[in-house]
Amino acid sequence: MKIKAKLKGDIVKVKAMAKHDMTTYDQAKGKTGNSDDANFITRVTASVNGKIVYEMSTSQFLSKNPIMKFQFKGAKAGDKVEMTWIDRKGNTKTSKGKIK
Amino acid sequence: MQRRQFLSLSAFTAVAIIIPASNAEDFRATKPTVWTAHNVDDAVKAMYGTNEVIQSGVILTIPNPAPRGSAVPVNIKSTIEAKSVALFQNANPESAVATWTVHEGSIIDYDIKIKLKSVGEPIAVTAIVEGIDGKLYSAVSTLKVAPGGCDGGA
Repeated sequence: MKIKAKLKGDIVKVKAMAKHDMTTYDQAKGKTGNSDDANFITRVTASVNGKIVYEMSTSQFLSKNPIMKFQFKGAKAGDKVEMTWIDRKGNTKTSKGKIK
Repeated sequence: MQRRQFLSLSAFTAVAIIIPASNAEDFRATKPTVWTAHNVDDAVKAMYGTNEVIQSGVILTIPNPAPRGSAVPVNIKSTIEAKSVALFQNANPESAVATWTVHEGSIIDYDIKIKLKSVGEPIAVTAIVEGIDGKLYSAVSTLKVAPGGCDGGA
């Protein structure tokens, strides 16, 4: 996961990209004949200093390699934004990005 | 044998630490019917138990026409003090796209790229913000997806 975080005033702006195919049920059915092969990110969370600042539950309708942007307050430069996604098959990935 | 037990135990502990985070709510687990609903009304009702919404307080920005159905940029903004935010559309087989839990310090200004199936007719994308007052605030954006592009949700 690529994470860019910038502090502007007291607001941290984050831009993140998760590398994921986000296969829908229909796409899986077309490819393998089995819609159960669909795999997509179901949940993304971001936390700073152990506190959750962003939390999203998702369906198969996010784009491939989804980019998400969000903002929050209560962190300073040098803190780390830790983001985790989990997909339908249970794969998970955690990445960190330093707030600049 | 002991080592194996230890490894399986530590793997289990690692998973247990990651998943239950504070007051976090996984809407896919707690409200499974939201994700299988085939129209926006049903999905909203599954999520919030009502279809009564106030059409104000939320700004939903999507380019019209959207050039590519495979990645339509959506922005949701609101200054309402909120518990959650949800995004629905009426082009794909199921309606729900994403839901957010709003945390302390969160600002509702979410950008996300979504898939929209080009259906030939205008698509309505609905954003709902659940205020801490328990009321639902909504915005609807109507758009077309340029034909001949990628097959969005298909």
